[in-house]
Amino acid sequence: MDGVVSYQRFPKIKIREVKDDYLKFELRETDASMANALRRVMISEVPTIAIDLVEIEVNSSVLNDEFIAHRLGLIPLTSDRAMSMRFSRDCDACDGDGQCEYCSVEFQLSVRCDQDQTLDVTSQDLISLDPSVVPVDVAARSSSTGFDATENRGIIIVKLRRGQELRLRAIARKGIGKDHAKWSPAATVTFMYEPDIHINEDMMESLSLEDKRNWIESSPTKVFDIDPSTHQVVVVDPEAYTYDDEVIKKAEAMGKPGLVEIYAKETDFIFTVESTGAIKSSQLVLNAIQVLKQKLDAVRLTEDTEEADEQFGELGAHMRGG
Amino acid sequence: MVIMKAMGIESDQEVVQMIGRDPRYGALLLPSIQECVEENVYTQQQALEYLETKVKRFSFSYGSVEKEGRALSIIRDVFLANVLVHDLHFRPKCIYVAVILRRMMEAVLNKDAIDDKDYVGNKRLELSGQMISLLFEDLFKTMNSEVKKSTDNLLEKSSRSSKLDISQHLARDIITHGLERAISTGNWDVKRFKMHRKGMTQVVLRLSFIATVGHMTRILPQFEKSRKVSGPRALQPSQWGMLCPCDTPEGEACGLVKNLSLMTHVTTDDEEGPLISLCHSLGVEDLELLSGEELHAPNSFLVMFNGLILGKHRKPQHFATALRKLRRAGIIGEFVSVFVNEKQKCIYIASDGGRVCRPLVIADKGISRVKEHHMKELKVGIRTFNDFLRDGLIEYLDVNEQNNALIALYEGEAVPETTHIEIEPFTILGVCAGLIPFPHHNQSPRNTYQCAMGKQAMGNIAYNQLCRMDSLLYLLVYPQRPLLTTRTIELVGYDKLGAGQNATVAVMSYSGYDIEDAIVMNKSSLDRGFGRCIVTKKLTAINQKYANNTMDRIIRPQRVGRDAERMQILDDDGLAAPGEIIRPYDIYINKQSPINKEISVHSPAGLPDSAYKSAIQTYKGPRGETAVVDRVALTSDKDNNLCIKFLIRHTRRPELGDKFSSRHGQKGVCGTIIQQEDFPFSERGICPDLIMNPHGFPSRMTIGKMIELLGGKAGVSCGRFHYGSAFGEPSGHADRVEVISETLVKHGFSYSGKDFIYSGITGSPLQAYIFMGPIYYQKLKHMVLDKMHARASGPRVMLTRQPTEGRSRDGGLRLGEMERDCLIAYGASMLIYERLMVSSDPFEVQVCRACGLLGYYNYKLKAGICSTCKNGDNISTMKLPYACKLLFQELQSMNIVPRLKLAEA
Repeated sequence: MDGVVSYQRFPKIKIREVKDDYLKFELRETDASMANALRRVMISEVPTIAIDLVEIEVNSSVLNDEFIAHRLGLIPLTSDRAMSMRFSRDCDACDGDGQCEYCSVEFQLSVRCDQDQTLDVTSQDLISLDPSVVPVDVAARSSSTGFDATENRGIIIVKLRRGQELRLRAIARKGIGKDHAKWSPAATVTFMYEPDIHINEDMMESLSLEDKRNWIESSPTKVFDIDPSTHQVVVVDPEAYTYDDEVIKKAEAMGKPGLVEIYAKETDFIFTVESTGAIKSSQLVLNAIQVLKQKLDAVRLTEDTEEADEQFGELGAHMRGG
Repeated sequence: MVIMKAMGIESDQEVVQMIGRDPRYGALLLPSIQECVEENVYTQQQALEYLETKVKRFSFSYGSVEKEGRALSIIRDVFLANVLVHDLHFRPKCIYVAVILRRMMEAVLNKDAIDDKDYVGNKRLELSGQMISLLFEDLFKTMNSEVKKSTDNLLEKSSRSSKLDISQHLARDIITHGLERAISTGNWDVKRFKMHRKGMTQVVLRLSFIATVGHMTRILPQFEKSRKVSGPRALQPSQWGMLCPCDTPEGEACGLVKNLSLMTHVTTDDEEGPLISLCHSLGVEDLELLSGEELHAPNSFLVMFNGLILGKHRKPQHFATALRKLRRAGIIGEFVSVFVNEKQKCIYIASDGGRVCRPLVIADKGISRVKEHHMKELKVGIRTFNDFLRDGLIEYLDVNEQNNALIALYEGEAVPETTHIEIEPFTILGVCAGLIPFPHHNQSPRNTYQCAMGKQAMGNIAYNQLCRMDSLLYLLVYPQRPLLTTRTIELVGYDKLGAGQNATVAVMSYSGYDIEDAIVMNKSSLDRGFGRCIVTKKLTAINQKYANNTMDRIIRPQRVGRDAERMQILDDDGLAAPGEIIRPYDIYINKQSPINKEISVHSPAGLPDSAYKSAIQTYKGPRGETAVVDRVALTSDKDNNLCIKFLIRHTRRPELGDKFSSRHGQKGVCGTIIQQEDFPFSERGICPDLIMNPHGFPSRMTIGKMIELLGGKAGVSCGRFHYGSAFGEPSGHADRVEVISETLVKHGFSYSGKDFIYSGITGSPLQAYIFMGPIYYQKLKHMVLDKMHARASGPRVMLTRQPTEGRSRDGGLRLGEMERDCLIAYGASMLIYERLMVSSDPFEVQVCRACGLLGYYNYKLKAGICSTCKNGDNISTMKLPYACKLLFQELQSMNIVPRLKLAEA
C-alpha cells in the first residue's frame, strides 16, 4: 500500500456564532461525505436522556395514559451525563429493566387541581431524583441565562380542571435519535455549500443603475446590493444565496448571460446547528465527532481480523485491500 | 272525451272551446270525438254507462258505490284526486282536464313544451314530518278501528255489568309501537297508502364531524338505483345553488344521491287558506265566472296554486310583484314562491313543503339593498341573518322563482335589469366540497372523490367525543386546523373540529417506495405524533335475566390457578378495570350463567355454584397488539337487563400501508417509513414530513393542491391563515397565486414554491428544485392493522371440512376458479392437486370396486367394508376431497347413485 497518494485531509472548523442552543460554524477543506456524516450523527446518534417508561398511578385528566406518556417522552431533558451513562439494554448493574442509577433517572409527578381555574401541568412539575437530569426549561430557569423567566412557563403536559389529578412515575433512559426522535438532541442540523460568486465587473458596469437595481431585486434573498457611493454592485451576503438561480436567469433575460457566475465550493460548508437544549449545541458537535470517531474505530479495529470477514463479508475483504 | 262527457260537459264544442280553438288541437281531438260517436256516447248518462263496462267489477260491494255506479265514484274520488269535487260539481275538474289536454297536445306539436322531469323545480323533497304524519295517520286510524271493534263487541253483549269506559279500549301502545318499529327498522309499511319503503331511517354516521354533517344534508332518491338511466344522474343546471354539484357517491348511486348546498333551505307546508283568499282579493278571477272560451284568453294568465287552478288574472306581472312585496314585508310566509311562466301563460304560487330554496340579496334596478352600514351592523352583532330577511334585504327564492329573477354573481356585475345578487358563489357547494381549498382549480371528479374521502378522515368527532360510547370511534391524537382554510370551513366549524394535520410535503421521487401514489413518511415526524390515532371499540356484555327468574352473575376473579393469568385485568367485581392493558384472549368479564334457564327454581338467588357454567367473554384483538380498557359503563338495556359496556382504546402510529389523503382526492398508502437523517433537507433546515411522487399530478390535474401548498407555505412564513374558498378570488375569499408568490419572495423563498434541497443520504444537492410546502393531510380510517390477514393452517368449516372464509374467522385465501383455470392452462397438475385437495379437505375413503360406492373402515377388523355388498373383498383406499364425499352422500339421499369406477393410476 506504500506509494499510494494519501488523500488524508485536515478539515478546519471555524466557529462563527455560539449560543447555548445555536451554533453556526464553517467546516472547510473536506467534502460532502464528511459533512453529511457529521450531520447524520448529530441528528440520530448522539445520545441523550428522555423519558421512556411511565407508570401511571392516577390519571383523571382528559388525556389518556398513552397520550401523556408520549408527551412526557418528548420533553427534552438535560443530558450532559448521557455520554457517560449506560444504555439500559447493556447495563450490568440491573437486569436491563432500567431502574438503576447507571442507566436511568426517575421522575415523579403528582398534581391535583383544587381550584376553579384550569391548572397547567408543565415540565416544572416533573420532580427529578437526579439534579443533573431535569427538563431543559427548568435548567434554563435556574441558570437564568438566555430565557426570560417570566415568559417561560414550562412545557405543558396536560391541563387539569377541578378535581382532576395526575400522579405518575417516569423513568428516563439514555437513547439515540435513531430509535426514537425524542432522543435526538438536534432540532435542526443543516449545512450549505459556501457559494462562490463572481460578478463580471465589466459587464456589470455596462448596466444602468436602474437595471442593476432590477437585477438585484430579482433575488428573493438579499445577496447583492449597490454601493451607495460608487454605484457598484457588491456581494453583501453570499450565504444568503439559496442557489435559486434567479439572478442568473434574470441576467439571461436581460441579455447579459455570464453577468454573474456562482459555484458551490465543494469543500467548504456552513453548518447551522440548533439544539433542543438537551445538550449545548457546542457539546452536540463535539459529542457527534466523538461518536463518529468511535464508529470509525469500530471499523478500523475489525479491519484486519478474521471477524471482519464475518461482520462485513466482502466489504471486509475489500477494506483490507483485497 | 268520454270522461269529459261523464263529468257533465256533453257538448263537443264546449270541450274544444275549453281546450282552445286552434285547428291543430281540433285535428288531434278528432279521433276522440269520433270514438264517442262510434260508441254512441252523447250524454253524461251514456258516458258513465260506457265507462261502467270498462271498470273492473269487484266481488265485494260498497253500498253507496253500487247505487251511483263505480265509474262516477272513480271519477269523483280517484281521478285527479287533488281537485276537490263538491256535490258532483265537476267543473273545476273539467277545467283541469282541459288544461292538461292542452298541455299534452302542445307537447305533441311542439317538443320544446315538454316538461323536464329532472328539473329541480318539479321535484319535492320528502321530509321526516311528512313521513311521520303518514305513518301516524295510518296508526291512528288503525287504532280507531280497533277501538271501535272492541267497543262494539262489548256493547253487543246483552248484559253489561259496568259502564262503558272508552279509555279501557284505547291505547295499548299501537301508535307508540308502530312508530318505534318503523323508526328502528326503517321500514315504512303503510298498507293504507300502499307504501312499502325500506331504509327510511338511518343511524347518523359518527365517523367524523364532516361525515355527520354531510350525512345530514344527504338527499336519497326514491326510485331504485339499479336502473341504468343517465337523465336523473346528470348534473342539472337548475340545481345551481341548491344541491352540491360535487358531492355525490361513486358507483351505482352516482348522481342520484345528492347533498344540499350550504345555504339551501327546504320549505315546510304553509297554510293555504289565507293565501287563496289573498289571491282572490288581489284580483284573481274565479273560473266559475268564466266560460270555457275565456280559459285560454291570450290577455290573461292562469293562476295555479300548489298545483290547483285558482283562476285567472289579467295583469300577471302586477299580481306577482304585489305578492312579492307582501312576502318581503313579511305579511305572507318568506318561503311562498311566485313564478310567472310566460310561455305557459301561468302564474305558479307555491306554499307546499319540500321545495328547495336559497337566500339571495334583493337588488333594485341593479343596486343591492344590502348597504355598507348593514354589513357593519352585522359585524358588530346588532343585526342577524333573520333581520336581513325581515327587513326585506334578502329573500328566499325557490328554483321556479329563480327563473323570473336576473341574478348577478357579484354586485359589480349587476345591470339595471338585475333583480337579485348572489350572496357568495362558494355557497353553491355543500359542506363536504366546501372543505376543499381552491376546488375551482381542480379537475371536477377529484372534488367528488374528496367529498367521499373527507367522510373517512379521522379527527375530532364532536366536543363530547371522549364522553361518548360509540361502537367504533377513530380519533386523531393531534388534529390541526388547516393552514389553508376556506370560508365554509369557518362556517361549519371544521377549524375547531379538524380531521387532519398540516404536513410538510416534498413533491419528489424517493426510494422507489413511492410509486402508484404511495407516500414516503419521515420516521421522526411519526415519533413526534404525526398521524397518530386512537381507535376505540365498544365491547358489550349483558347480564341476562331468564324466564325462570334466574339470571347471570358476575363473580370475583380467580387470583390463582389456571385462568388467573387471563383474569389479571379484572377488578374484584369481575369486570375489567379502566386503565388496564388488555391483550388478546384476556377475560374482560367473569360472567357465569345458570345451566338451568327454563325450569323454574324456587330460590333463584340461592343457587349453588354448581348450577352455573362459565360464560366469560374474552377480548379478541389483533395478535401481538395491546389495547387499554378506557372506560366501563353500567347501564340497562330495553328489557331491563344489566348491560355492561367496555370501551377498549388502542393508540396507533402510522405504519406501512395506512391510508392517507390530501383534500384533493389524492389518496395514497404509506409506502415506506424512513429515518429523518435520510430525508432531504433544505438550507434552512426544513425537512419534509412526507414525500409524494410527482406522477400524482399530471393525470389528476389537481392544481388546487399545488396552490394549497403555495398558500400554506406563505401562510407559515407570514403567520396568517390563507384562504382558498371556491371561486373566491374576485371577492377576496381566496388568495391569488400572484399575491402568495410575493409573500413567499418576501420571506426568502422562491416565488414558485420550489426549494433547493440536499440529499440526506449523500449530502450533495439534488439536481432539481423541489416543490415543497405544507399540505393538509387526512388520515383515513382504512388501516393495515384492521385488514391484514394471513394463515397457514387453521379453522375449518364443520360441514365441508374446508378452510373457513374471511378474515374475521381466520379464514384461508381461496384459490378461485380463475386461478385454477390458469394452473390448468399451465399444466401444473400437482399444484392444483395440492391446493384443491391436500391443503383443503383431504379425506380417506374406502371405495368398493364392485359396486362403486363408498364403504367404511372397520377398526376392529382393520379392513374396509362395503356396506352395500356387505363384504370387504373389493375395497380400495383412496383420497378424495371431503366435499366430494359429501356430494356423493347427498346425492344418495335423494336417490341418485353416484358410482366410482376405479382404474390403476
